[in-house]
Amino acid sequence: MSNAALTARSLTSEHRRRRRIVNWLMEGLATLSALAAVALLVIVVGSVAKRGAGALDLDFFTKNPSFLGFGQGGSGIANAIVGTFIIVGLAILMALPVGILAAIYLNEFAPRRIASAVTVAFDVLNGVPAIVIGIFVFVFIVAGHGQAGVKGAFALAILMLPLVTRSTQEVLALVPNAMREASLALGAPRWRTTLNVVLPMAVGGIITGATLATARVAGETAPLLFTSSLAGNTVSWNPTEPLASIPMFIFTSAEQADPALQEKAWGAALVLITFVLVASIIARAFGLRSRRRLTGGR
Amino acid sequence: MATASRSIPDPAALRRRGRFNPGDGILYGLTLAAALSALVLLILIARELIKDAWPAMKEFGVGFLTSRTWDPNTEVFGAATFLFGTALTSFSALLLAAPISIAIALFLTELAPRWLRGPVGALVEMLASVPSVILGLWGILVMGPWIVDHVGPFLHRTLGWTPFFKTEPAAAPSFLSAILILTIMMVPIISSICRELFLNVPRELKEGALALGATRWELVRGVIFPYARAGIAAAMILGLGRAVGEAIAVTQVIGNNEAITWNLFEPGDTLASRIASSYVGATTHLMISSLVYLALILLAFSLVVNLLARVIVHRVTQQQGHA
Amino acid sequence: MSFRRSAITVALVALVGAAVAVTAGARSQATITGAGATFPAPLIAVWQKEYKRDQVNYNAIGSGGGIAAITNRTVDFGASDAPLTPDQFASCKGCVQIPWVLSATSVMYNLDGVKNALHLNGRLIADIYMGNVANWNDARIRRLNPGVNMPDRKITPVYRSDGSGTTYNFVDYLSSVSPAFKSRVGGPATTVNWPTGVGGRGSSGVAGIVTRTEGAIGYADIAYALQNHIKFAAVQNKSGKWATPGLRSIRAAASADKKFSSTNELSIVNPPRGKKYARAYPICTYSYVLLPLKSAKAAQLKSFVTWAVTTGQRFGPRLIFQPVPEYVVNRAKAQLRRVHS
Repeated sequence: MSNAALTARSLTSEHRRRRRIVNWLMEGLATLSALAAVALLVIVVGSVAKRGAGALDLDFFTKNPSFLGFGQGGSGIANAIVGTFIIVGLAILMALPVGILAAIYLNEFAPRRIASAVTVAFDVLNGVPAIVIGIFVFVFIVAGHGQAGVKGAFALAILMLPLVTRSTQEVLALVPNAMREASLALGAPRWRTTLNVVLPMAVGGIITGATLATARVAGETAPLLFTSSLAGNTVSWNPTEPLASIPMFIFTSAEQADPALQEKAWGAALVLITFVLVASIIARAFGLRSRRRLTGGR
Repeated sequence: MATASRSIPDPAALRRRGRFNPGDGILYGLTLAAALSALVLLILIARELIKDAWPAMKEFGVGFLTSRTWDPNTEVFGAATFLFGTALTSFSALLLAAPISIAIALFLTELAPRWLRGPVGALVEMLASVPSVILGLWGILVMGPWIVDHVGPFLHRTLGWTPFFKTEPAAAPSFLSAILILTIMMVPIISSICRELFLNVPRELKEGALALGATRWELVRGVIFPYARAGIAAAMILGLGRAVGEAIAVTQVIGNNEAITWNLFEPGDTLASRIASSYVGATTHLMISSLVYLALILLAFSLVVNLLARVIVHRVTQQQGHA
Repeated sequence: MSFRRSAITVALVALVGAAVAVTAGARSQATITGAGATFPAPLIAVWQKEYKRDQVNYNAIGSGGGIAAITNRTVDFGASDAPLTPDQFASCKGCVQIPWVLSATSVMYNLDGVKNALHLNGRLIADIYMGNVANWNDARIRRLNPGVNMPDRKITPVYRSDGSGTTYNFVDYLSSVSPAFKSRVGGPATTVNWPTGVGGRGSSGVAGIVTRTEGAIGYADIAYALQNHIKFAAVQNKSGKWATPGLRSIRAAASADKKFSSTNELSIVNPPRGKKYARAYPICTYSYVLLPLKSAKAAQLKSFVTWAVTTGQRFGPRLIFQPVPEYVVNRAKAQLRRVHS
């Protein structure tokens, strides 16, 4: 940006009209940009809603897909819904405990220098592209052993971990120190204090963070591309075999020429985006409320 | 960041005071292990990728980065076309996204009435939470035809004299489609970081400028931008990192062609997109290894991006701390 | 725990239990999972429905993916239109390929106002894919189609971006009719360096791009062209006749090679000139199932493949899959005896 020195001289009223016009122009551009962003969101979500709504019937949620419309009737994404449920569920089970424990270390135990180094590691992990994580999990545990839903869940858990850690750490920092000191003053050991006093107060924020991380990760395709893509065409609850998932279904159906399959893709997209948006909105609202409770003091 | 540890004695201190409890040690150990998990994962990722990319690294060396050949049949692989595609799409998207994001951040911090800031801010963030596969779906079926029918011909008519829009747009899968999708993905990221930055500009500076009679734009140009300059740079770098790593949405709309061309209506390919499209069907060890080599390049890039952004922010917070 | 909480918990558990019971109940049979070529996928989809003994899962990820998957034993069977190379056989460590499906690769195009079965010969198609013929109103196209009003529109060649047996078949044909193509792009392979054009994933991806792009030309199994109502070209065979993909033209082409290679390969691309092949469509191919010689599911696999090459062929003609000839059925059954657990 140019060095625009705000001197008294440059702000003389001689140029006032020109300055006002420039200001008006810039304000207009800024407003337009914000409007454009909102409009784009409305267009994208609107397209999904409009084109996908027609696909949503009972069959859609209960039947399995038939990939080629060669006279196969009544198909849906039942296997993908169940698969996503299981894979994301397992990812939460893997990432949440590790993330919470890491946040506890960062907030309760770590000396300043180490905390900062550890935070850097989590931030760097957060920046690793999802496709690279997918390749890593493939070469690490899939190559030679076969795909599995739980391995896809592992890839998703790696993506979730930095998010859960960071949000838990933030909420732990909000818990008033007075609580910890009171508990220690009463003779409780450190670990009791952390588990029975600090954590319960932070539960709201932890759930918020976990929900947001889940919403983020439920829509990821790249980690599942090599770890859980050769799935069956029927519902399976078995995480040791590759499971179908909604993002993979959308990915494979998106480029088809068959309009009937495209409609299913939109329908699946509608289900996914509804889940992601609703989860995000609820999590944020809930998070705001629990944060107010923590800092407002109760 | 305020941590509790400063006012509460750490386990070592407690132990000295004779208040050691074995549970403390266990908790400390567990949480330390969890905290190190990120570092362990990073080391593992680097190690596994290097291990599997090694055959290709040995075969092609650093020349891999400059070789334009990608031929699975003669088993000669090179990343140059994908490096070009990645650079072209990501930087072009940044060029489009940066001004828009900054403008949005300014709108949300300076311009919008207070009651509007929350909702509009939330809507912009929601754009960030749209999964990339859905953006790709939208890109193929909605944006694509729109580009071929309306935007493309317009660009060709007005800017056809530039090398970017030289030919008539014929097919939707192209660099242009990828650039637009990446722009959509980058805007929420950059604008939310910039929003934080602008909110943190000290009030005294802003009030001082306003007291001198500056218009809002002059306030932005003269106070906010210089103050937040480095942070904006960091935001752009992080947005760039996101764009470079995007595989799914890009591979859906870019056309998967190996081309080094400035014509944005042509199909092309990027590092991440090539990995996503070719890995499943790679049958020879050298091809698989070359694809992992591509992933390794992506990993290295993401590390550099991340650390660079941190260094910038760190240096700036130090500077401003001393100011 | 309050009554309300326990009631909700019980309800949730019951709900999940019911869901599991309902959806998992049908899986009392064994499952065999396969992955591979998109070329035979339309017929395999019908087989999945019609084969009652076991449940067959199939993922159409392209021939390259199928070869990789069976090599890594991530699936029970693979499928590929491209025959395995000696290197691939070696990496597969004891696999057998058996032809089980017979059909044709159509040359599809999207051109408004132009009739179906446009005349395009092999050399011309090769030149289109090399970028030498860039517009639909090129003189060479018009010469082959007198009386057809060819529009002024750019040709967008569409190819397979993934490892594809259909690419193998298409390139096999083009390289045999055009020496220039062979030297510039290469001989038959599942992936080649296309000089120009747009890539799509899978036969459906190619069909998708062709339907969405005015002026596009692409290649995929004829079933995809028919299902998506895409026009396809008439190609000139060595006898000089113009042939479109159909059961009769496929049958004529299949008679070109009855002698199996040692690895059960049959090559019926570009049949020679002669009365027997007068009707032949020059871009036909068999598609192969890839089985491990040693498999825990040997019995199920043998039963399925036997069914597929006999009863299963019955469902083919509606999708323009020509039932495989008797000698192929016999060879398949003989080769299947090599598969054991």
